[in-house]
Amino acid sequence: MPEITGVVRNVISTLDERQPYIALKQVKKEDTTLACDNTSIAGSMSQRACVYSGARVALNPVTDAVHLVHGPIGCASYTWDIRGSLSSGKETFRTSFSSNMKELDVVFGGEKKLSKCIDELIALYRPPVVFVYSTCIVGIIGDDLQAVCREASLQHDIPIIPVQSEGFKGTKSDGYKAACNALMQLIGTREPEISSPYRINILGDYNVAGDVWLVKPLFEKMGIQVITSMTGDATADSISKAHGAQLNLVQCSGSMTYLAKWMMKEYDIPFRKVSYFGIEDIATALRETAEFFGSREMKRIAEEIIESETRRIMPEIRSIRSRVRGKTAAIYMGGAAKALTLIKGFRELGMEVVIIGTQTGKQEDYRQISYQVKDGTVIVDDANPLELAELLVRQKADLMVAGVKERFLAYKLGVAFCDFNHDRVIEFEGYDGFLNFARELDASMNSPVWKFHGSRLKPAVDAARKNEAGLKTRQGAGIEATAREAKNMHDLSTATLQESVA
Amino acid sequence: MTERNYATVNPCVMCQPIGSVMAFKGIENSMVMLHGSQGCSTYMRLHLAHHFREPVDIGSSSLSEKGAVYGGSENLKKGLKNLILRYNPKVIGVSTTCLAETIGDDIGRIIAEFREEEDIAYDVMIIPVPTPSYEDSHNSGYIKAVEAIVKEFTAGGIHGSGIFNNKLNVVLSENVSPEDTRELRRIFSDIIGPNSFILLPDISETFDAPMTGELQKIFSGGTPHSAIADMKNSAATIGLGIANNNKAVRYLERAFDIPSQDLPLPIGLEYTDSLLAALSGTAGIDVPETYQKERGRLIDAMVDSHKYVYGIKVAIYGDPDNVLGMLSLALENGMHPVLVAASGKSPGFAGHAMERVRQVKPDCDVTILEDVDFDTFNDAVKKAKPDMLIGNSNGKYVAKEMGIPLVRVGFPIHDRVGAQRILSLGYLGAMNMLDRITNTILEAQEEKLAEKWSEPESYVPFGEDTFHSAEA
Repeated sequence: MPEITGVVRNVISTLDERQPYIALKQVKKEDTTLACDNTSIAGSMSQRACVYSGARVALNPVTDAVHLVHGPIGCASYTWDIRGSLSSGKETFRTSFSSNMKELDVVFGGEKKLSKCIDELIALYRPPVVFVYSTCIVGIIGDDLQAVCREASLQHDIPIIPVQSEGFKGTKSDGYKAACNALMQLIGTREPEISSPYRINILGDYNVAGDVWLVKPLFEKMGIQVITSMTGDATADSISKAHGAQLNLVQCSGSMTYLAKWMMKEYDIPFRKVSYFGIEDIATALRETAEFFGSREMKRIAEEIIESETRRIMPEIRSIRSRVRGKTAAIYMGGAAKALTLIKGFRELGMEVVIIGTQTGKQEDYRQISYQVKDGTVIVDDANPLELAELLVRQKADLMVAGVKERFLAYKLGVAFCDFNHDRVIEFEGYDGFLNFARELDASMNSPVWKFHGSRLKPAVDAARKNEAGLKTRQGAGIEATAREAKNMHDLSTATLQESVA
Repeated sequence: MTERNYATVNPCVMCQPIGSVMAFKGIENSMVMLHGSQGCSTYMRLHLAHHFREPVDIGSSSLSEKGAVYGGSENLKKGLKNLILRYNPKVIGVSTTCLAETIGDDIGRIIAEFREEEDIAYDVMIIPVPTPSYEDSHNSGYIKAVEAIVKEFTAGGIHGSGIFNNKLNVVLSENVSPEDTRELRRIFSDIIGPNSFILLPDISETFDAPMTGELQKIFSGGTPHSAIADMKNSAATIGLGIANNNKAVRYLERAFDIPSQDLPLPIGLEYTDSLLAALSGTAGIDVPETYQKERGRLIDAMVDSHKYVYGIKVAIYGDPDNVLGMLSLALENGMHPVLVAASGKSPGFAGHAMERVRQVKPDCDVTILEDVDFDTFNDAVKKAKPDMLIGNSNGKYVAKEMGIPLVRVGFPIHDRVGAQRILSLGYLGAMNMLDRITNTILEAQEEKLAEKWSEPESYVPFGEDTFHSAEA
């Protein structure tokens, strides 16, 4: 490995055990790599969730599926409609289903209850597929999810797929794998209707706020048939036909590379890692796809799209850039692919990244990241709130882009925030998405509220005159004192403003 | 529709540990460690952050497969140590999750070992609370944690003087908003004096911290430790909330012979009256004029609203004591509750709800549900056909489907700002809620009216005919 991320120890004060997970990029240092891809340290206040969470976020956007959580109520309660994914058809995925295991189920086993839950839900919802997620407790008491699902599948004649996502059995990344394993059982079960000689799947896009709807038309304009997008706005039917594609485009590499590799082995479908975020990355995605199919006509259309769309959004991007240029950004993402593409996005807006971290990055991801960032940028794996807070102050970040748990941390420190997670309600992908992103940064950083942040109301009367201005004096001094008081009131407003502006 | 007997569809409850977190966050300088896998703490942090819009730190022992097989003792100890090193709390609540409970970790023993092994552990109070998530709900987790806190602080005489303090203990049995907690403190301070009561738990500051420009590791505020320890020396206890067995109140009574009284959450006129009456009785003083005026203004507001809210059919849902309070408020304003539903199962809920309905509106045809999921509740809503809903954000789906408004109150409220500032307690809270309810009704009626106007068939052109007939 070339001289990239020299681990500068003690970048900030944290637990000794956590030090190897935080590095300052310095070209000169040749020393080692960043520690990552381990389970979180107990009591370190990791921002990560669990295996179940990984499986849930990756699979949940399958719109017409019943997603049944086998376990006590909490797991289903906290993840009810958590993803922010949109659907162009059924909305079954937004409903939260649980076997709501009680003490007796824990003692005597939950298999019977689970199988009855499946029967009930199929009778009620008639879904094309049921995903059954196992939670911590199922792993402990040893319910045989595979057997229950197999039997139910035979009985109901629809795929009922176990998702082996016991919370404690690894990290969020293992949950992505569990989700991919579940998808594998659907892929190839139906034959696709072919409408174009060029066919792709969009993998690793979850249609948060409708992202896919800004991306899919670009490919369709190029004459490409998009068989399915996994899992954003996907249906059981479209997933089952995914093997009809000739190319897989993988965006969230953390969650879907595993599936893409499997499809390459199983169906001989190659994959490319792409991103639909930022002017440069969208262009690359379109060009690489056209390049792959080798069609001259397609290349021409791709260039046309890139040219006209870029020209369309540039005036506003330029105007926003003039307002955000030179500001510094902190990135803390679940997956590394989003973090990487964000670096470029910020560069296109004239901003510099000063902190970058992920929950689930791997060695190779951090190597890529360190190629992309400037000297002096802090790279961090599996960070916690206290580390993030100290880093935001130390690195003087103007803006943080992350998820909800980090939002209020940033606010308390007076750092503007942009949600690039499940919670956002506006698209960030495609050309209009990037415009939305730029607008949000502008709104967030340039709001006048930051001028008041951390300010205190200055007393209208300075300390030396405090006693003099009391009620007693005023009574004695009559009109003169009232006039002085009125003047103080005036001072108050200007003083407050001045202080807060400074 | 097929009957459902097994599957839960859209849960109304959360699990016990999150309730214990809310209780511990109301204690000065405290942290919570969840003994279980990493996800539990992260999901609860997310859930609470959504509602309170504050950073919420909850430790996790991050149990992995190894821990699940060989026991979580090592992880729990390490977690506690790291939590103390980084946050320096004076109290740590250790709440168990379903995982820890099922593998059968003996938390008490692990904590005792931890104390022996680590020097740092001596000046930290560590309070275990068994909160398996396959039992009861978030509300019972809250009550259990409050009881554990009181027990631990009043035990052994480590803290507190042991001298009769002539104070009043006020113990909540339901999570109320920070604004509500501030209002409770104001009421108690004004009526019996600022240093004459001990309120537990107190999230008024810890879940709604002012912006100072700095980030505190642990937000200041919460019930002071010395005060909790002093609860055993108090003259009396008031438990706020009647739907559940307020175990901390019972414990104080049993162990220290402190007389107690359970009162409903002071929501609406009459429930606030009963609190204020109890206070003036306890302190032997008159209700201060300020509160007579507030009460008078509330009645004035009720008169202002009465024609708009009378007979309006309403469905109320959420945590049991919140629901009882809102039911009372609705009834005393002449509304027609057609459906009331409590999230979990609580021993006193249905009886109290029934009693209140009988008192105020005996002819009222009301369905009372408890321990239901939102799917069952939604079906009941469709059957009862209310004009509006009062409850948390999770009712928005059925409200939207039915085309009726939802007045948001309770927990969780994740799709609007200001959940931490919703005031529903006391006369001011009643006024606030009533205004919101009435204005929501007026808005809905206005919208209906606007629809009528824009409908082509009801549109009569202002032509000559109309003009003549108007003249005639």
